[in-house]
Amino acid sequence: MQTRIRKSLKHWTLATLAGAGCGLTPLAAVLADEEMQVTGFVENATFARDSVGLSKFRNTLQVNADRKFGDLGQLNFNNTAFHATFRGTYDGVYDLNSSEYGSGAGGAIELENSVAGNSVPHGGGLTVPGTLLGFDQARNPNEGMIVLGENLHKTRGGVAFGVPVRPCDKDSRGCIDDYLDASSDDLRFPEFNERLDFIRELYADFDNELPNGDILSWRLGKQQVIWGRTDLFRVLDVINPVDYSRNNIYDELEDIRIPMWIAKADWRMGAGELFDDLNLSFVWNFDKFRPHNLGQCGGPNSILDAACFFRGMNNLWENGGTVANFANGNIATDFGPGQIGIRKAHMPSWSLSNTQFGIKLEGVYGDFGFSLNALTYRSQLPSLRGGIPATNAFTGETAVWPSLIAFDIHFPRVNLLGGSMDYYSQAIDTVFRVEVAHTEGEEFANTLQSRLFSESDVTRYVIGADKNIFIPLLNPGRAFLFSAQLFGQHIHEHQEETRALGKVGMPDWEQNWIGTLLVKGWWMNDRLSPQLLAAHDFKAQATAIAPSVEYLFSDNLKITAGANIKVGRGAREYDDCRTCNPWDPFTSAGQPEGMSLGLSGYEPLGRFRAGPIGMAQKEDELQLTLRYSF
Amino acid sequence: MNKQFRFRFAALALAMSAGVAQADSAVIDNSFYPYQAEKPAFAGLSAGLTINKANVAQFKDIIDPAFYGFIEKGWLDMQVGETTSFDLHPNYVEATRQGQDKVKLGAKPGEIEGWVAGRPFPQEPDANDPRAGEKLAWNYKYGYNWGDSAAISPFYWKYRDMDSAKVERTIKFDFHFLNFTGRVNQQPLPAITPNPSQLFRGIYVKVLEPYDVRNTQLLIHRAEDDLKRDNSWLYLGFQRRVRRLATGQVTDAFLGSDLMIEDFEGYNGRISDMNWSYKGTKFLLMPFYNHNDLTLDSETHKDSDGYQVVAFAGQGGCFPNITWQLRKVYEVESAPVEGSHPLSKRVHYVDAQTFTVPRTISYDRKGSLWKTFTIGQAHPDHHLAKNKGSGVSIDDSFSMIDVQAMHCTTGQFKGQVDPAMSKPEMFSVQHMRATGN
Repeated sequence: MQTRIRKSLKHWTLATLAGAGCGLTPLAAVLADEEMQVTGFVENATFARDSVGLSKFRNTLQVNADRKFGDLGQLNFNNTAFHATFRGTYDGVYDLNSSEYGSGAGGAIELENSVAGNSVPHGGGLTVPGTLLGFDQARNPNEGMIVLGENLHKTRGGVAFGVPVRPCDKDSRGCIDDYLDASSDDLRFPEFNERLDFIRELYADFDNELPNGDILSWRLGKQQVIWGRTDLFRVLDVINPVDYSRNNIYDELEDIRIPMWIAKADWRMGAGELFDDLNLSFVWNFDKFRPHNLGQCGGPNSILDAACFFRGMNNLWENGGTVANFANGNIATDFGPGQIGIRKAHMPSWSLSNTQFGIKLEGVYGDFGFSLNALTYRSQLPSLRGGIPATNAFTGETAVWPSLIAFDIHFPRVNLLGGSMDYYSQAIDTVFRVEVAHTEGEEFANTLQSRLFSESDVTRYVIGADKNIFIPLLNPGRAFLFSAQLFGQHIHEHQEETRALGKVGMPDWEQNWIGTLLVKGWWMNDRLSPQLLAAHDFKAQATAIAPSVEYLFSDNLKITAGANIKVGRGAREYDDCRTCNPWDPFTSAGQPEGMSLGLSGYEPLGRFRAGPIGMAQKEDELQLTLRYSF
Repeated sequence: MNKQFRFRFAALALAMSAGVAQADSAVIDNSFYPYQAEKPAFAGLSAGLTINKANVAQFKDIIDPAFYGFIEKGWLDMQVGETTSFDLHPNYVEATRQGQDKVKLGAKPGEIEGWVAGRPFPQEPDANDPRAGEKLAWNYKYGYNWGDSAAISPFYWKYRDMDSAKVERTIKFDFHFLNFTGRVNQQPLPAITPNPSQLFRGIYVKVLEPYDVRNTQLLIHRAEDDLKRDNSWLYLGFQRRVRRLATGQVTDAFLGSDLMIEDFEGYNGRISDMNWSYKGTKFLLMPFYNHNDLTLDSETHKDSDGYQVVAFAGQGGCFPNITWQLRKVYEVESAPVEGSHPLSKRVHYVDAQTFTVPRTISYDRKGSLWKTFTIGQAHPDHHLAKNKGSGVSIDDSFSMIDVQAMHCTTGQFKGQVDPAMSKPEMFSVQHMRATGN
């Protein structure tokens, strides 16, 4: 507790120093007669999920403070301004539906044992005398658990294992230090943590006029930096990590980007002989690294169900556990600690070399807008790197074993080059948006490699079109907005082979596309606005449909009712490395050491083929949000 | 040619030249100072008179038909003020003088040649000229309007139910205007350079309240080429991103108000999108007044300099509480070129002195009265101190009434002719990103 308070004080001190660094404190006297504008909202979001019941009872208070200081001539600061956003949330779902998401979640589980056509309880799997198979059930009891993936699919001959789902203060099994280790209060009150997330934004703006008339615009402090021109999915907009635990991919990015301490400078050259506007932007993210928040297993939103996979794997490493259908591909098997699983997460510490830097040149040339972007950053998604020392369950030897499913989590450095463009076609009265990003340094799961991952260059792109169309039959006075986007992803060094029992290699699709469509209309002087948002993952064959209606009772009170429905194929199978033969000859079916034969199941790698929509197929929801703003 | 003949010829040429100069001067004077010699009058009309349901019939000839109907229904009482001259800035008048007879219409509607600054066609419209209406439209487009630059800060829009008088929504904006070309008063003259896309005008809008649309910003670049559509960008506060907008749907309601984008300032589309016809010159009661002489709205806006905005009254609170004066107007009809346009026509009552469009009546496709638009014009010398001597007829209040829906949108302005509030860098896409949060 004291440690936590000390840490918090340390962060407060940093925050204060940073505020002072923004040059505000000495100016207080100058600013005495300026007025602070305070705005904000209180909001309740109540969601109900199919077969689960209450999945969100989120109550939010957000307060924004803005103050303009104008020109401070003695410092050559023009248009000086200050902005702060504070947000506090209490999600009551962990108290009101604790049997699903809180201290009473989970229970005793059984794991499939196909060889006998039955299931065995956690701890009831195969053990072989004279080996290290088996684990201490006192350390890892059969309680407070679910079977990995059970909310989406049955095991159906694949692998699965138990995953503790209670908050980490109630059950610490599988909680990865400094990464996925949220306590009950962390889940209930997500902003009140060591990183002071209740300070969503705190920054100062000012301009310096350069001798040639150009302007240098600064924004210093905790902030969101937005690149790119696309909605819903991110191609260039990768500077801030994202909190997917709030509502998966469906909340506005404004509300789920995780603000970082960043220095941003824009050299605004304005109009020139050629361009209508030209700007060179420098971004230095000097904050301590933060990954995306993928949610926590046991919470309502865990994108790709990755947090459950990680927690179950860390529990296997720490305490051992039963894995369904493992030995011989059909026998539930008990592993001991330190044999398979996730050992730890290597969270990059703060150092100058771990900070992140970006440059963007952006301009307008007539009907065209464009940007060229470069960024060096840390991947906000985890990479599982095998090749860590682990214990051979058959010999007791600790060594690095080829293709053993024992991992550490890393966040590799990634370099990005990209650009974007928009264009207004007068002829068809449509705006087109294009965005491209090419990265090097990203890492992907790959069962062809002995460390079970490989690096690949990736190109992502999006083409979008926006058009306003009158449908007089429905509304003669207000046009409907139609906005369509097609996202593509191409993994350049994609590897995949077909082996005796199935495909092996990289479960991510070499090329895949997601299409989105937004149709929005307005009635009653824009106080009533229904919309339909749909997204379809072509390779995963999964679709999300999110209709909603927004109604403004007044300038202050807004109600939004909606649904989020998924249709499509759901879970997908891929090589699960049961046949990787790490401990030759004990795990061999005749293949060489470390070579997978491709025996497949839904877990764990099928999630990369199902994607975020496919993995959420059983998460249909009705959603009601009330917001009172002030 | 003998000497005597040469002398006679030179004298004749000189006399003709002087005559032309005098004629040109008369054209300018007639265009910009129509009340110099005599103010218009109408039997029974005097400053201070209230026109209401009881006596409106007497003044039918000097009230536009829509407003006549409103008064007849008892929706408002109209207060009459004295006719006053709204002199535009002398530099604009001089620019008109410099450009006189150098400006011509192009072969097609929307094309113009020879204009640099000032009023393109100061001559009285000729009813026999088939393009007289189009010339008046150009005079409006290149009018002094907000001068070279100005800001409306703040600008309150209220959406009102005309039956219940309930204010459904109040939006608080800042509007900024900047002319890139045709500048006559504020440095640089006559144009801001560089101007690679040959822009004529920039409009920048920021929404201050309410919360759900706060920080929305709109930037419009209007090219000198009337045939080109605007380039527009929108910054959405909740997305924090600039989006380029498709601007073709100018008949779309702006932020749910009763105004189409095309309605702004009287007409906000391309000249080439309409067939223009001049219907005649009239003397009508028009919404011109001295802001400081009005009984103002003490609730909506308060600030340190004590400025208050125009109050609204009448049916549903849809009518500005102002005075109206008898003025010379040109009646101009604009009929959409495109058959799919939701209107069959607009009838504009263009103020002859200022070329503002304080009254417009819109008719739906069936030809029925749909909307009427009033833009109250305040004299700059009786407004904010900073506006004194600006020579700008200040847009000071507006009311767009949808008579079919019994709904209206009203506007209350704090118009400020102040170049420091509308600097060129404000009219760039990057400005939206730099100031958005």
